[in-house]
Amino acid sequence: MKRTTGERIIYWTLPVVAVMWIAAFFLFPGFLPPMSPTWSPARVAAFYRDHTSRVRYSMILFNWFCVALIPILMLIVERMRGMAHRTPIMRYCLIGVAGAAPIAFLTSTIFWLLAAFRPDRAPALTQLYNDLAWITFTCGIPFLVAICFFLAVSIYLDQQVRPVFGRWVAHFNILAAIALVPAGFAGLTLNGPFAWNGFLSFWVKNVVIALWIAVMAVVLGRAAPRGGALVEAPA
Amino acid sequence: MIATASGTRVATAREPRHVPGQPDMWFFVLFESLVFTSYFCVYLFNRARHETAFLQGQSHLILWLGVVDTIVLLTSSWAVACGVQHARAGRYQAARRDAILTAACGLVFLALKIVEWARLIHMGKTFTSSQFFQYYFFLTGIHCVHLLIGFIVLGVLVVQLSGEHRRSQVVVETCATYWHTVDFFWVLIFALLYVVR
Amino acid sequence: MTRRSWRSDPKRELWLAWYATVAFYSLYTVVFFVITRIQPPGKPWYSPVQVTEWFAGRHDGLLVGFALIFVLGGLSATALALITYSIRRMSVSRAFAYSYLILYAIAAVPGFLFICVAMTVGAMRPDRNPAVLRWLYDFGFLSFSGTMGVFLVGSLIWMTAILLDDNRVFPKWFGYLNLCNALTEVVVAPSWIFHGGVLAWNGTIAWWINVVVFGLYTGVFIFLLRQMILREDFGTGPLPDLGLGGPAGQVLAEAAS
Repeated sequence: MKRTTGERIIYWTLPVVAVMWIAAFFLFPGFLPPMSPTWSPARVAAFYRDHTSRVRYSMILFNWFCVALIPILMLIVERMRGMAHRTPIMRYCLIGVAGAAPIAFLTSTIFWLLAAFRPDRAPALTQLYNDLAWITFTCGIPFLVAICFFLAVSIYLDQQVRPVFGRWVAHFNILAAIALVPAGFAGLTLNGPFAWNGFLSFWVKNVVIALWIAVMAVVLGRAAPRGGALVEAPA
Repeated sequence: MIATASGTRVATAREPRHVPGQPDMWFFVLFESLVFTSYFCVYLFNRARHETAFLQGQSHLILWLGVVDTIVLLTSSWAVACGVQHARAGRYQAARRDAILTAACGLVFLALKIVEWARLIHMGKTFTSSQFFQYYFFLTGIHCVHLLIGFIVLGVLVVQLSGEHRRSQVVVETCATYWHTVDFFWVLIFALLYVVR
Repeated sequence: MTRRSWRSDPKRELWLAWYATVAFYSLYTVVFFVITRIQPPGKPWYSPVQVTEWFAGRHDGLLVGFALIFVLGGLSATALALITYSIRRMSVSRAFAYSYLILYAIAAVPGFLFICVAMTVGAMRPDRNPAVLRWLYDFGFLSFSGTMGVFLVGSLIWMTAILLDDNRVFPKWFGYLNLCNALTEVVVAPSWIFHGGVLAWNGTIAWWINVVVFGLYTGVFIFLLRQMILREDFGTGPLPDLGLGGPAGQVLAEAAS
């Protein structure tokens, strides 16, 4: 008898989290439009002086909820129990990267908050914190890429009559993983589509993440809990 | 080794053991010896380059304290060896007493080491004060970590000798091997740091 | 192996994970030692000017190499998943497996994320204040070498599980090798104290000897994981040895005793 008590509660935290994240995203003055890496230290310092409150409150909000997707990811892991896998190895892979993913996000919020904490410090230092925040936020994607990749592989390996997730979900995850790749190269250039404010590293990356959350939310809602198709591999 | 129904290991007659205790422990001894040897080589190499400074540092060590340390650890090794013999003969109570004596010697050694370190630090000779004392505190420190692990190993030994259903001569000998290694490393450190001048 | 048998091979998930592990460690070695050349590490005693030159000399390598890790670093989870699986296969409590899973999930952050970020931020603006560059340099190397707790405790957990295990998943000598690896984390601790010498973050003892031990350890566990997959019988009892030819061999051995 599978225990699914409380899963609905976890599932319905997702829209709440989404609202928080979207609110924080719009509140942070540095996302729309995204700050440019080419700004001089003086301009960066001026930004934090002029928008101190909005930076602080939005980042506090992000910091509170950066781990909020973990329960949703664990719901996905629970649904994976129904996949036709012989071992729990794919679930372990997913848990492994799910653990590390929020830490990258969390660290970037810390750096943004630090930048805003003393707006009158030396501009070169404020620029340092700003760089650290943006690079961590933009380039800190290995775990996100891996989540998409492991999920896709799990679905491809789930060869049964009624797979837990449709095959298109796997294709979608592969595409998402590929779409996230350019953001890893954001450190190489200060302008252009690959820079941290560029089309690929900022817009594509963040839209893909939002899309992934939306799509997986729908898919998760439709995937009912069930016992294993082959030998159930207990974790 | 065949696993019986009760889960205990029984050495088959067709598998004569070539070394006391688990051969695996001897792998560990060999590996750690190599690592320690590399540390000693680094020490000797650097000592040769700064001989006077090292000699000066060494002069602050009390030789007889080192000798006492060595005697204490050798006694502990003798005690654990007696314990192994008693265990082999089935005299588990005696073996247990030997194991506890071993641990007591280990504690005495630890106390002496702490006293010695406190004295040196009080004199201003610390981990960062000179090259010699960097090596001194590093080598005696990492040895002490092995000693602390040794206490856990002795704990396993005492448990082995206490409960009837858990007794395994192999594990007893393995624990003893580890303790001998701790003693062995100390003798080398003593020779290098205290004696070789 | 025909395509049909690969599709139905129950061990293919394990093999996929194993090959991914080999790929990850190969990539890691190439990136850290060849592309970025941050191993062997830079000298801790460098002045800010020397640090600026160090970054300048590695500018492209740092940015490209770490971009690769930013994209592919998540593959490290396959090693972690395999090891967790191996501990689960042992006769010990699942708590060991889950502890290891969590510890090494966290390990990715000091294990490569921080140094990637620090070095990328350092290299992206060569005209940055040298004192600030040196801070990034320190942050990178110390967060990489000096965050010892995760690997120390993780190795001890794996060691304890192996030594207590009755299912012979790993040989006992590998359990002891975990202790050797854990001790390297003790030996690297002084790197937080010294700016030079054998115990600094690039020192003969704290880096060179430690890396030899760690390298051996990694090579050995990758090999032993392969052996485990080959031997796996998906049961809960002792893993059969390879030489005895699997379950049939085990039956023969028991019959002969």
